[in-house]
Amino acid sequence: MTTATSKRKPADEGGAVFDRELDDLPQELRRREWMGRIEAVLFASVSPVSREDLARVVGQGASVEMLIDDIQAELSGRPYELVQTAGGWMFRTKTQFADAIKASADLGDQSLALTEMEMGVLCAVAYHQPIDRAGLKDIFGKEVSRDLLARLRYRDLIASGPRSPRPGAPHTFVTTETFLAMFGLQSLRDLPELAMAGPGST
Amino acid sequence: MTYQATAISDDPTKLPHLPRWVTSGHAETLETAAFRSGAALTVLEQLVSDPRYGVPMKLLANRLALSAATATSKLEGRLAREGDIRDAYHLTPPGEARGPDGDLLAFWRAAARIRTDGAGEIADLMGPDFADEVGIRLKEAQDRIRAHGPLAGCVFVLRAVLDVDDRAERSACLLSDVVLARALNWKVVLPVTAQRLTKTMLRDLDSNGQGADLAVQVRILESIEETIRMARDLACRAEALRTVKPKLRAKASDSAVDLFLTEDAVAPASMLSPRIRGTNTPMTDRAARRFCDRLVELDVARELTGRPTFRLYGISP
Repeated sequence: MTTATSKRKPADEGGAVFDRELDDLPQELRRREWMGRIEAVLFASVSPVSREDLARVVGQGASVEMLIDDIQAELSGRPYELVQTAGGWMFRTKTQFADAIKASADLGDQSLALTEMEMGVLCAVAYHQPIDRAGLKDIFGKEVSRDLLARLRYRDLIASGPRSPRPGAPHTFVTTETFLAMFGLQSLRDLPELAMAGPGST
Repeated sequence: MTYQATAISDDPTKLPHLPRWVTSGHAETLETAAFRSGAALTVLEQLVSDPRYGVPMKLLANRLALSAATATSKLEGRLAREGDIRDAYHLTPPGEARGPDGDLLAFWRAAARIRTDGAGEIADLMGPDFADEVGIRLKEAQDRIRAHGPLAGCVFVLRAVLDVDDRAERSACLLSDVVLARALNWKVVLPVTAQRLTKTMLRDLDSNGQGADLAVQVRILESIEETIRMARDLACRAEALRTVKPKLRAKASDSAVDLFLTEDAVAPASMLSPRIRGTNTPMTDRAARRFCDRLVELDVARELTGRPTFRLYGISP
């Protein structure tokens, strides 16, 4: 079965058109091939892949969601999973293996970890967006350095949003889809409720 | 300098209005709610579909979109105020991120622009989770409407969408608006469902709580009544603006007036100059500011924000 499909592929790619429908395959094989394609696309991509992009590699009538459900079912025992985040789906290692990955990769100081202040600013932006530097100053009681904001922006965790209606028209900051993906949120509504983070829980 | 006061024709007898028996008292059963909604929808239908009444439809839709955004922001727990949402949308430079508040208003403005027969457009707005279901739900809602009236159809799709995802308030309200528009054969979707709903009501609806159907129907009915009031009000204000049009001597005043008749908030610096949005007519920054000041002077427009800078003007408060 697998050899048959792998033999087919180069022939397809040689042709001018990419065969989405796979009409010549029986039902079951066609599904397998579609699932394989979705998995391959997700595996090859660094960022989440949107539904429209995935729909382009499977047949017109096929439901991307159902194919992904099947893939997820097959992955149940694996150390990585297929998750839906902002803007699409992506492969992610399960959190329980975080320590193993850290131990093996020797990430050192240049890891993804954010400093306490960076984390604080990111939180403030997430909850109070759109917010400008003056607004952040009101929250932290001190100027938030442009360097720190530039670092967050360089990592694509925040982006510039609407202009703030103050003298000088400073731009405000808003969080990005990368921010949602990094923290495993589907939307901003998944942020923990502020009331819950009060003195009761800490 | 003083100007002759503008004679605003707000003859209340000319525009259709709600009979007293609809607005007085409270709908206490599903039957009375359905009955009253029939009367209210007839009046709204007349205002919306008869061009003689001069209701500025695009302006009405955009204004409703803003209130719907404020209401859904509450439903989603973000609690953004109307002014914040309007600012986020209008003060974002092209190409930058609008942020959640601006995106929400953009969603509702897009909703007010979809064609009711375009299932594809509706599905695009509702997102991938519901893309496959839209057609089926709309058909089922139609059966509901045939048996129990439009409001029952609205409640039905609200519940159907919330069943799939209880956080999809905006999609649920949008689909309900589509159902209402289709039931009345409107070409445009007016965002009325979200306006007065509360979180508790939607939670009750989702868990099939006692009397949840009636509570939601009554709120939608109230917001339809509110929309009638708004439509009448906007018709009068638009009429006033059209009356003063000959007095406006700015070169591009015709196109600028048209913009005021479609947008609920106009930022002179970005929407009137260097070119009036949607047209090729040029207008300088200064001319744009003077034009807006002149409208305020003539008492047909208002400054909406109360700020000395980044002002937004509109003909409705």
